[in-house]
Amino acid sequence: VRIVTCTNILKLLLFLQRVLLLVASDVDALCACKILQALFQCDHVQYTLVPVSGWQELETAFLEHKDQFKYFVLINCGANVDLLEILQPEEDVLFFVCDSHRPINVVNVYNETQIKLLVKQDDDLDVPAYDDIFRDEEDEDDDSENESDGSEPSEKRRRFEEDVIERTMRRRQKREWEARRREILFDYEQYEYHGTSSAMVMFDLAWIMSKDLNDMLWWAIVGLTDQWVQDKITQMKYVTDIGILQRHVSRHNHRNEDEENSLSIDCMRIAFEYDLRLALYQHWSLYESLCNTSYTSACLKLWSVQGQKRLQEFLADMGLPLKQVKQKFNSMDISLKENLREMIEESANKFGMKDLRVQTFSIHFGFKNKFLASDIVYATTSLMENIEKEGPETDNFIKALDSLSRSNLDKLHQGLDLAKKQLRAIQQTVASCICTNLVISQGPFLYCSLMEGTPDVKLFSKPVSLCLLSKYLLKSFVCSTKNKRCKLLPLVMAAPMDVEQGTVIMVGIPPETESSDKKNFFGRAFEKAAESTNSRTLHNHFDMSIIELKTEDRSKFLDALISLLS
Amino acid sequence: MPVGNEQGERMRKFKNRGKDVAAMRRQRVEVNIELRKAKKDEQILKRRSISITPLEENSACQEKKEIIQLSLEEIVEAVNGSNTELQLQATQATRRMLSRQRDPPLSQIIELGIIPRLVEFLTRADNAPLQFEAAWALTNIASGTSDHTRAVVEGGAIPAFVSLLSSPHMHISEQSVWALGNIAGDGPLYRDALINCNVIPPLLALVSPVTPVGFLRNITWTLSNLCRNKNPYPPLDAVKKMLPVLICLIQHEDKEIISDSCWALSYLTDGSNDRIQIVVDTGILPRLVELMADTELIVLTPALRAIGNVVTGTDDQTQAAIDAGVLAVLPCLLRHTKPTIQKEAAWALSNIAAGPCRQIQQLITCGLLPPLVELLEKGDFKAQKEAVWAVANFTTGGTVEQVVELVQSGVLKPLLNLLSAKDSKTILVILDTIANLFLAAEKLGETERLCLLVEELDGLEKIEALQTHDNNMVYRAALSIIEKYFAGEESTDLQPGSDQDGQLDFSVEKQDFNF
Repeated sequence: VRIVTCTNILKLLLFLQRVLLLVASDVDALCACKILQALFQCDHVQYTLVPVSGWQELETAFLEHKDQFKYFVLINCGANVDLLEILQPEEDVLFFVCDSHRPINVVNVYNETQIKLLVKQDDDLDVPAYDDIFRDEEDEDDDSENESDGSEPSEKRRRFEEDVIERTMRRRQKREWEARRREILFDYEQYEYHGTSSAMVMFDLAWIMSKDLNDMLWWAIVGLTDQWVQDKITQMKYVTDIGILQRHVSRHNHRNEDEENSLSIDCMRIAFEYDLRLALYQHWSLYESLCNTSYTSACLKLWSVQGQKRLQEFLADMGLPLKQVKQKFNSMDISLKENLREMIEESANKFGMKDLRVQTFSIHFGFKNKFLASDIVYATTSLMENIEKEGPETDNFIKALDSLSRSNLDKLHQGLDLAKKQLRAIQQTVASCICTNLVISQGPFLYCSLMEGTPDVKLFSKPVSLCLLSKYLLKSFVCSTKNKRCKLLPLVMAAPMDVEQGTVIMVGIPPETESSDKKNFFGRAFEKAAESTNSRTLHNHFDMSIIELKTEDRSKFLDALISLLS
Repeated sequence: MPVGNEQGERMRKFKNRGKDVAAMRRQRVEVNIELRKAKKDEQILKRRSISITPLEENSACQEKKEIIQLSLEEIVEAVNGSNTELQLQATQATRRMLSRQRDPPLSQIIELGIIPRLVEFLTRADNAPLQFEAAWALTNIASGTSDHTRAVVEGGAIPAFVSLLSSPHMHISEQSVWALGNIAGDGPLYRDALINCNVIPPLLALVSPVTPVGFLRNITWTLSNLCRNKNPYPPLDAVKKMLPVLICLIQHEDKEIISDSCWALSYLTDGSNDRIQIVVDTGILPRLVELMADTELIVLTPALRAIGNVVTGTDDQTQAAIDAGVLAVLPCLLRHTKPTIQKEAAWALSNIAAGPCRQIQQLITCGLLPPLVELLEKGDFKAQKEAVWAVANFTTGGTVEQVVELVQSGVLKPLLNLLSAKDSKTILVILDTIANLFLAAEKLGETERLCLLVEELDGLEKIEALQTHDNNMVYRAALSIIEKYFAGEESTDLQPGSDQDGQLDFSVEKQDFNF
């Protein structure tokens, strides 16, 4: 398989005159974008940035700009479809694709002339061999080619070896080859999953060229953490990548340790942490964080009365006064905070929460501001999918992008506030879904549909929020149900999208098991179900497991999905 | 006068079918093929951006275990030996090598010096398999370059193959037809050598209602090669023998047979008027016109070519094509998606427009002007060039009324637009045409109106710009038009009572002819 030589691509990129950046709406993409922008800036490369939330916007943006640009950089979009097929670019157009979506479309992999893939060398792509999926036209157009176009007959003709027998044999071989090809491609394309974070790939490129800065490293960390928060990668992959980043962190932040006292206000320092997986706890109260973190909420079953009792017991076990726990973390007694992590972990173990601590990184801006990588992810996500203000979608995108700069702490704080609202909304919705038995088994999968009029339902018309909700709901459901079979099922979740147009947004997620490989088969299944029922669907999202469809078509679509997966 | 010379040259090129037309056409065809090939290679290159270990066809070899592999030395020995079993094995091995897809060793086999022996094997009426293998091997050698074909002919293969046409084994006579086709395709010399060897009667005898389609295809193709090539043309009596059978084959339902028959007729009409006449006399023109409307390119292309050749002939021959209905199918072809078809159709039309004014009138009546204008507007450039010729010929031979109708159909705008073409030949033809239009306008006293019209369509600007053209003839032609018709206000003031004004008074029908 072709391996992309990263350095050359980046050199090429930095050498280009005018570049169009097409960036998807996820935090990892934003982080990769920040890194690339910083690189462009120091090499004075001119570029235009266009946020794209789905295929339609990508196509429109390409059509609008294809006359002015020859070079397009796609971040977290474009890898998993045949780009040349859908965009029909001129032959001199060049695409640089940095996208964690897997599997990568085979044409993108093998077309080296127009598509430059930015992929980490050790990422295992498992791409089928060229000869197994492509065949030279030459072999196929044996006899008819010259005659069908009306050119003059040849003056002389050679008679080939056993024309008839050979041709039927070749046809048979071709048929067998095609059947095998279909099988290979089916296996290859069946599951959707994610490769290395784009921000990490971009950072890697910067590092190889010795252009990496501490800021870029932080964005790479946030990018990876986004994949972890969104549950896109396996635990193993997360730990491995954390290890890679940790080496960069100690390389970059080594010097500062000696001069810790001289930290100035605009100085930043990144540190490896073995911290609590409690969402936003340092910017919230410990109590709120415990209640609104999916892990603790699911393990303690907080939606039930017993669950609430368990929480009280848990807090008592730690010996933390309720008053302290419920006030702002910042204002908690310093004495309590000193051994807090160890205390919490010890009690958590007793309550069956063995994984409450995780490896992550923190960042210090000057003296005052300290954030965990996941804080940034939650804040940026909320800014990106902010539903409070009506306005062009790109406003949210730009705000989210800005919040990643350390000079924009106010935006970041705004994001943290929004994130708290989002997490609360998710937990409340999870609790009500479970208490009212909205999660039902459809046989091959679990299904939950949010009604129009549910509180916060508008938030869940946004893809990332809906995905987070689905994942938290599935975790909680697995903890709540006694049905062993149901614990192993994937979940399909639907929410109203546009009431006027009568559409719903639907997402499918893989089963919530400890050894989950995070591979998702719903993309293909949705496609097939839509095809077989002629449902009016729109595969607009870069994640194929998210689909939009007409509300009236939902039931026949689901029926088809059930029979397809049974 | 330069304008007159231009015109004369054009007429020679069109009506009298000098060698130029044929040469030009052939050249065009070749360029097309080259382009297509280049494009295809490019596609392959594009696909092959990844390096791949070459696929060896080991598997194919292993599958046929019964095949005996012989070295070249063993082949020579066996072929020259007296063991008929070994002769057959060696000939078969030779044939296999010659019929593999990649790099058949034509020259190596010739260098072995076994061709005379293979020719001798053709005569072994007692050993049909040997005859067949030798015929196939020789066919493939003859399919190579002229040198390769010569090796086969000089080995004495022509008479042997001609007599094998009458073999009782159909597969052997079919293979011989194929071999003879390759030899005939080499050029006029071997074509006539075959004809002198009396190849035609036994070949025609193979055509019967029970002959399988595949066999008929081979025969038709070989016949087309016997009609092919000029300098010299195939002998007249040979042509006369083949024609009735070709006329018969062209009625077949198989597209490939029809196609090759049409190509044969296109070769036969690509000659002097008496050659064209022989084809016209068979009464085949209506069938050819019918085939021009076929949806398949393999049929429509050669049919159009043949009819296109016919209308380069005399007025009567052109009339025969018109009577056969050619004007009814041309509009579709002028609008065809394939540029080469547009071009050939426009070429045919230009030759009809070069005829007497009654044929021009038929052209108008049959509605050819709208598609012609469309083609001028947005056709492929090569087709546009032919369309320009059609207009030029029209303005040369048409009556004033016909020219008026031409202008009214909107020809002027696209014509003037084409003045921005790079090709100075085309520009000259257009300037000639404009001069012709002004001549007609003068006759009607409508000069000023035409001037206005040309100006409105930004034509004056373009003609003025041509006064600085590199090509001397273009410059002079443009200058002449400007001086004559757009001399400016001062000259108009100086000649208030010129005969232009006088004629205007005489022009009674002025109102009817609104340019």
